[in-house]
Amino acid sequence: MNLERTEFLYNFTITPEWQQQIVDKLGATLIDNKILIMPEAIATGGSIFLEVLPGLSVLLMDMTFHIPLAITRIPTKQNYYMAYFDIGDEITTHLLGEVAHKAGYNAKLGLGFMDCCIKGILMPPVGERSYSLRLFIDKDFFVEMAIATRVNAINTSIFDESKNTLFFYSHIDSRSKVMLNNLKCNDFTEPAFELNLKSTALYLLGYLMERTSQFEPIISKLVQKDIDSILRTSEYMLNNLLFEFPGLIKMAGLAEMSVSKYKILFKKILKESPNSFFLNEKLLLAQKLLESGNFNSVNEVAYELGYTKPSYFAAVYKKMFGALPGHTLIKSELRDLC
Amino acid sequence: MKEITHHYGVELDWVKNMASQLGGYVDGNYIRVPGDKEYYTRYVCTINSDITAFIVDIEYSEDVLYKLRNKKSNFIGIYFNHIEGDAEYIFNGVSRSVGSLGYNLVAIDSNLNGDYLVKSGSKTFMIAVFIKKKALVKYVKDLTQHNSNKRYPLNSKFNSIIYSTRMSSQAWWLINELKKIQFGNPLYDVFITGTVYGLLGEYIKQVACEKETFEQVFKDDVTNIINSQAYLINNVTEPFFGINALAAKAHMSETKYKKLFKKITGTSPHVFFLSNKLSFAKETLETGNFTILEIADKFSFFDASHFIEHFKCQYGITPKEYLMLL
Repeated sequence: MNLERTEFLYNFTITPEWQQQIVDKLGATLIDNKILIMPEAIATGGSIFLEVLPGLSVLLMDMTFHIPLAITRIPTKQNYYMAYFDIGDEITTHLLGEVAHKAGYNAKLGLGFMDCCIKGILMPPVGERSYSLRLFIDKDFFVEMAIATRVNAINTSIFDESKNTLFFYSHIDSRSKVMLNNLKCNDFTEPAFELNLKSTALYLLGYLMERTSQFEPIISKLVQKDIDSILRTSEYMLNNLLFEFPGLIKMAGLAEMSVSKYKILFKKILKESPNSFFLNEKLLLAQKLLESGNFNSVNEVAYELGYTKPSYFAAVYKKMFGALPGHTLIKSELRDLC
Repeated sequence: MKEITHHYGVELDWVKNMASQLGGYVDGNYIRVPGDKEYYTRYVCTINSDITAFIVDIEYSEDVLYKLRNKKSNFIGIYFNHIEGDAEYIFNGVSRSVGSLGYNLVAIDSNLNGDYLVKSGSKTFMIAVFIKKKALVKYVKDLTQHNSNKRYPLNSKFNSIIYSTRMSSQAWWLINELKKIQFGNPLYDVFITGTVYGLLGEYIKQVACEKETFEQVFKDDVTNIINSQAYLINNVTEPFFGINALAAKAHMSETKYKKLFKKITGTSPHVFFLSNKLSFAKETLETGNFTILEIADKFSFFDASHFIEHFKCQYGITPKEYLMLL
């Protein structure tokens, strides 16, 4: 689906000023310097922006776009990190550089973490609700917390921008998912919504810090091209989960890197090796398919996913989820009865 | 019985006095009392210039009477109490029991003096939130602005108030979430701040929805509904009892029971029961000691798919996925 998209350029700030760009360029209405209402011609809905603490702001966007837009966040020299949580109903195409990054059926990485000096392009779906939350965290504040949370000896070069770039994509963890889902059930105009949003933002920050402290640090400086290349390969894998693992050589080739460089950078950004990333995503898709009620047997799902031996599929599935696929399977006949 | 005369406030001048009354000393944000068990904690946290929180996690080995004699009148104290055991608040000679069966949320204007009696053997995890009246009124005002179609007659409510009720399930679970975080965790202040904002939100919601109700309702009826809530929570693993039985237990007609429950709690008895059931089930799931089928059984769901369906509906994620990504 290649729609002609109107380009729109903007950048965030950790303080409310950025909203003025949306007012000036898109004609949105700004209320109380925190609520943006989009003009009906472009989208239904709006966003709410709050400063939670000195060094932490939160932005919640809930919009249904009516025209195709390519929203480009231009890199800035400001001093913040951004954490992006996508909890939309349908596929949102989240473009970084040239790589379309979908959060949907076969690409479900709902969490992105990036430096504000990295460019990002968002292509919201037309006619579907886009619901996302962003945290803006002051770099000094982040580093202070990160150092305090890390148990092991701290490699100070992690936070040295000339040596290392902080950037990753992952799934949203369960606790955060539950909080976000809870927030999604509430209306902007509901009593005490702002207090709820602040509360959620702080918990998300806490969970994020806990999680990142467990990542194995891989120190390296990323340039935009590397990020684009790596995400292009993860995207490729996510779109080809029904086949077998394409192989490191092919993937490294697609990324235009040496195999060793590719392996390191992939692990830095996706927090897993390419092979285990692919297999885990495949099994997650298997779970979705088993639950979908579109299949009648485990064998069907196994063959659909390209496993030649259903018993092998059952074994790896059990290893990951602790239960056999037959346990998860909802037969299509049964679904029709419901 | 030990007696402690103290005051509270948004500004931290009360901390030192509190510590010396308890026979302890101030250590950073903590009040330490010699003779306390290791995990006992009294922790003071400044949320922002208008809000301060005081967290107390202790077990009482003797009866203690706290005499609250405030020196400032510019704030409201809101006390959220997770307590196992006996305790009561005494104001103007009227006492109200606190605890799993009674009132666990009390808000008191700093103008008023009151006593709080805790019985030996009680285990308490309390979050006291001190908020300037100005700030509270502003939150409420913000709330009314965005709801121009509804009128919340709140402002008058915040003058000279004593307000006691059961906290909403949402508030209860927020505190439960905080209890899982260890004191001393470098992110503790982040989590406590998050919890306090959430609790304030819940409190304001609750006051807004109860204010109108309480004036038209007999006290006994309110007590009966609150007891009914407690009964449901204490029997959360059972199947739903049916409106019929619950109404009889609360000495009301079914229609009246349903209406009043909804007014006071904000949800119907069944939704209240189910959402608490799911929260407890989620808690049990997190321990990792039970399979999904076992949990479905333990909490009287019809079968595993029935449980999974409700879980998914409430949390937007299936139990299995929840465990996986934890």
